[in-house]
Amino acid sequence: MRLITHNMLKCHVKNCTDPDKQFPLRFKDVQLEQIDAERNDEFLVRMLPRIDWPALSKTTKELDITLPETVPGNPEDDEEFLQALHTAILETHIKQGSMLCDGCGHEYKITNGIPNMLLAEHEI
Amino acid sequence: MPAFILQFAHCHEDFRLAELDALSELEGVAVRYDAAGYSAESPILVVEIDSAASAAKLVRRAILIRSVSEYWGSGATYAELFAEVKRTPDRWNEYMQKSFKFTVEGFGRSLTQKEKVAVIESFSFLGFEGPIRMKDAEAEFLVCEEYGETDLPVPPETPKKLWFGRIVGRGSRHLIDVFDVKKRKYLGNTTMDAELSLVMANQALAQPGTLVYDPFMGTGSFLLTCAHFGACSMGSDIDGRQIRGTAGFRRGVNGISANVDQYQVADRVLGSAVFDISRNPWRAGALFDAIVTDPPYGVRAGAKRLGRKNGTVPQKSFTVIDGVENYKRSDYYPPTVAYEMSAVVSDLLAFAAERLVVGGRLVYWLPTVADEYEPEDVPLHPALRLVANSEQPFGSWSRRLITMVRVAASPERAASQVAAHDPAHKNFRDKYFNKFEPL
Repeated sequence: MRLITHNMLKCHVKNCTDPDKQFPLRFKDVQLEQIDAERNDEFLVRMLPRIDWPALSKTTKELDITLPETVPGNPEDDEEFLQALHTAILETHIKQGSMLCDGCGHEYKITNGIPNMLLAEHEI
Repeated sequence: MPAFILQFAHCHEDFRLAELDALSELEGVAVRYDAAGYSAESPILVVEIDSAASAAKLVRRAILIRSVSEYWGSGATYAELFAEVKRTPDRWNEYMQKSFKFTVEGFGRSLTQKEKVAVIESFSFLGFEGPIRMKDAEAEFLVCEEYGETDLPVPPETPKKLWFGRIVGRGSRHLIDVFDVKKRKYLGNTTMDAELSLVMANQALAQPGTLVYDPFMGTGSFLLTCAHFGACSMGSDIDGRQIRGTAGFRRGVNGISANVDQYQVADRVLGSAVFDISRNPWRAGALFDAIVTDPPYGVRAGAKRLGRKNGTVPQKSFTVIDGVENYKRSDYYPPTVAYEMSAVVSDLLAFAAERLVVGGRLVYWLPTVADEYEPEDVPLHPALRLVANSEQPFGSWSRRLITMVRVAASPERAASQVAAHDPAHKNFRDKYFNKFEPL
């Protein structure tokens, strides 16, 4: 699972609705893998407005990944920024581990890079 | 604008104009044609495009268009056709010394080599002096003899129409072979055929910079074809086994990652997740440029969603088995109930209205019962505009590829349509297994 996907997922357990707690999900016991990918600047620039930057910032800090605090004025011209963003959201894979919700405590397991986000019977 | 001849492939007739329109938007090439005057019985459509270069660009990704040619002439007879060609002799000059090739085809009738040669020789009035090259000719010409299809055992003697033009561009039908499911490393019993998976990518305007999502990804066909055209893709499914490859026809290859490697799209197939789309974890906002999907009709793949018949029993989550609460066990799978087809579709539209960017596209298959279908069956939504509806008939039932575009209305819950009757796709599963006889 890449960080770009993680940035788009929140906890959806019934009654877990505090926006500050249900998103972003907190990683726990994760195994990361860096896999090189071709730079895709058109995609990065187009996705920027859809990325929740504070959440990405928070998550990358937790994982010890370098990312600028804020988005520069002209991101499409900022090579350093694009490379850092690319590495963070497209090249960093979470292979194993889980995502924890600070609101309700649900633990979403990640196996072979695929998160299981099925809810249990009491959570729907 | 100058005229061009589009030569369609002989299949999926109802999808042709929809794909043409999608490509026009995708490539930014305006194309004018008389839709009302076009009959799917003909493999030829005359269109207006501003230039040969634009025409080539327009069709380069087409799956249902074989070629596009500069229009030089047409007629019911060769006399008529030649007369028209002879009205523009100035344009022949450019090809006087060039190497050239003539392709002569019959639609609805196979032409013998002798017949083809005779046709080519009849064009000698053009006076081309260059060498004939079967491969890499500088100028290629197409002669199409349109006999039309017939139920008779013998093809018609005389053609309905004759067409002549200079080929300026070709489509991408070669991709059908590249993505052939028979060659695919991993597949399942619901894997969509290559041709339509590719058409869907065109309908979705999948292109570099865009993000496409399939909420019923199965073995990931659309993630692959959209990524092939430069989009990034994501998918989810309630059945993790399809994604992981622990179900499906070819196990032990690690599921969809085998296909991602096969087609070298690992950089753009961004990820997959296991969840019920009707209880999905996506955060609020417009996230996707396109949603491309084949929802389960309940026939081959049981359409299901989380829940329990007669209501959930929350206590069951907490039953302790071998010291661990049920829902925390590694083999826990929550109960599911049937997901009825019309609910699947209306939920899909509601989801698309929220999660697509404005201008983004929803491309999905709607199964329908041939005898009962009415255009009003196609669900609508105030935030989505219907742009295409193409039928693939299977006899007593069909499926329709529906394309909708998110418009800038606020995505409130659609007022329930007051339908004159239940849509043909309601309870589709029951109808299918009842052989579409009246229930």
